[in-house]
Amino acid sequence: MPNTAALQTEIEQSNLYVTIIQKVKESAHEANGVLFIYSVNAPSYLESQISGILESQPGVTFAMWSGHQPGSIAVLLPGQTLDTVHFQGLLLKQRIQEINGDLELHMALSSFPEQGELNEQLLKQMEESAKLSPAGDIHIFTKEEFQPSQTRILIVEGDATVREFLQIRLQMQGYETAVTDNGISALELIESWNPDLVLTELNLYGIDGLPYIHHIQQLNVKTVPKIVVLTEQRVEQTISLCFKSGIDDYITKPFSPVELDARIRRCIH
Amino acid sequence: MTVNTIYFTILTFSFRNIMTIFRRSAYSKYNTLSGSELVPSVSLLVPAFNEELTVIENVKCLLTLNYPTYEVIVINDGSSDNTLEVLREEFGLEPLPNPEMRNSIDCQPIRAVYHNPQYPHLFVIDKPNGGKADSLNAGINLSHYPLISSIDADSLLEKDALIRMARMYMENPEETVAIGGDVRIANGCLIENGAVKEVSLPRKMWPMFQAVEYLKAFLGGRIGWSAINGLIIVSGAFGMFRKDYVIAVGGYRGGYPGEDMNIIIKLHRYMLENKLKYRVAFCPEAVCWTQAPDSYRILSNQRKRWGRGNLKNMIENYDMAFNPKYRVMGLLTMPYNIIFEALNPYFKITGLLALVGYTLLDMTNWKILVVFGLINILSGYLLSIGALFLEELAFKRFTKVSDLARLLLFSALKFFGYAQLGGLWRIQGHIQYLRNNNSWGTMTRTSWKEESKAAKTA
Repeated sequence: MPNTAALQTEIEQSNLYVTIIQKVKESAHEANGVLFIYSVNAPSYLESQISGILESQPGVTFAMWSGHQPGSIAVLLPGQTLDTVHFQGLLLKQRIQEINGDLELHMALSSFPEQGELNEQLLKQMEESAKLSPAGDIHIFTKEEFQPSQTRILIVEGDATVREFLQIRLQMQGYETAVTDNGISALELIESWNPDLVLTELNLYGIDGLPYIHHIQQLNVKTVPKIVVLTEQRVEQTISLCFKSGIDDYITKPFSPVELDARIRRCIH
Repeated sequence: MTVNTIYFTILTFSFRNIMTIFRRSAYSKYNTLSGSELVPSVSLLVPAFNEELTVIENVKCLLTLNYPTYEVIVINDGSSDNTLEVLREEFGLEPLPNPEMRNSIDCQPIRAVYHNPQYPHLFVIDKPNGGKADSLNAGINLSHYPLISSIDADSLLEKDALIRMARMYMENPEETVAIGGDVRIANGCLIENGAVKEVSLPRKMWPMFQAVEYLKAFLGGRIGWSAINGLIIVSGAFGMFRKDYVIAVGGYRGGYPGEDMNIIIKLHRYMLENKLKYRVAFCPEAVCWTQAPDSYRILSNQRKRWGRGNLKNMIENYDMAFNPKYRVMGLLTMPYNIIFEALNPYFKITGLLALVGYTLLDMTNWKILVVFGLINILSGYLLSIGALFLEELAFKRFTKVSDLARLLLFSALKFFGYAQLGGLWRIQGHIQYLRNNNSWGTMTRTSWKEESKAAKTA
């Protein structure tokens, strides 16, 4: 077994990203491919299959680790640019499917520093995105995708579960988030934290929905944040009053997270 | 003895009902309802007389309920303090040029209706002093929605209270004419942003006794009475009514306290006389927190007022008692209220006099006497424990063990002094009635902020 192909499953989980970054720094190559593979119900021999496939190609060196989540695998391919990593990804996908039949692989890949400066946040984003991408899809991270999105979203929601869900979901998409559960502290946060977008429930403790929307627009801030209302309130009159007072979008619960993402993206761009 | 038997029967009904209620609260989703267009809209009527300390907090709380369409109508009943001014300043209210007041019920002419388009669901009526009933009637005349709900200005509604009540109404909208809410004592609780954040018991003695009393009355009593449709009172602090029937019975009666009991008796009478199927329900999940008087003087005033109102209602409606035409109401509720509520203290006194007489004549058998006394106290205590058990079974609002222990302790202490005082106050109320003394008495308020400051430091 070549020296570089050490299968390091026992590596400390929290150190995975640090280790990858370290390896990339140490490597003498101009480009270093990073590949995240995720599969549901991954068989235990998947890792050895992958390393077998990679080893079978002359001139390919690699290092492999188990990812943070079960079923997730991280592969570092020193010396490979984005297109060659992509080729490896396609090759792996095809070979694995040939051997295992219906096993679906999710992948996310990129190359550093070709596509940007490597950091932990980025690697985390890649691993998450591999897990979330549709089966069989390969998510290629390019410079544009890594543009640090400075968009700040304030989540105002009384229900703790929904609040946590929204925060995790929006964070995974690279937004900077802050949360609060009532209207009064939301108004204070908007002034002090300057979010670009406020995702808010209408039914809040402390202040009535419509005056609250009105208050946000009267606040003494440089740019008034975009307001997206996400609420249980479905009465037509309230909805039209909200739009009249200048909100950007109105989504009713129960909501589709995918639709929510799309609407938020539209408001920001 | 009979009293206790009846109490126990009622408590049994309560228990039978509570399981349904418990299952209901576990399975029904208020959230999906609270935004639905199909929920009937409600007008909240808030009569306010000299409430400058608490009114802002209360209106803010009422404006943030979980409910699709509702309006809040505050009726300033000719307050002598700054109630109207603080409201106008806080919400930027301006008089409406020509308010749409229907005159479906007689009430004193109003001075003005205030409104601010920024708070589309808030209206404030300003009128000369005319009493609580008259204020409510004025509110009904302005209200835009088919359901009305009367709420005391010193009470805080839980965010879900109204939607829970509406849900009960929607189960049977044809027949339900009134729904009562559960009233609890807020003294000692931590209040933030117009909502009760932390439930705990009052620290002072008088509110503590009342907390025990309310718990027993609402959970042990009213759930049971509503099960047989014999509920005679929907608390004035929080109740919901169908506006059409309230108008049909002529609205609230002015001039006397006890207007909350009066309207329910009138509704019973109207529905029964017109042979309409109806239901007066009690919704224990809909909780309203109220400030209990914390000094002897104010508490005794309140109780005398209740005694007076109760007597007045009984005298006005004595024809319903023992009249089979009025079904449960005539055969059970009214006789029960006349004999065991209104006349209760007199029975106690005659019993006591008889006891003294027997003792003087040396005719007492001490053993029997002690046994009787013990049975009496024990059964009463068992009732309180029953109510407490109901509470813990279905709602679990008191989580601290120390709170439970205190509830048990005060339920027992109640029999030595407090219960007797209750009788005394009732008699004093009756005397006031006979002497035609019809003052409302003073009610002092503490601002909610101070209340919760006290709760925090404790």
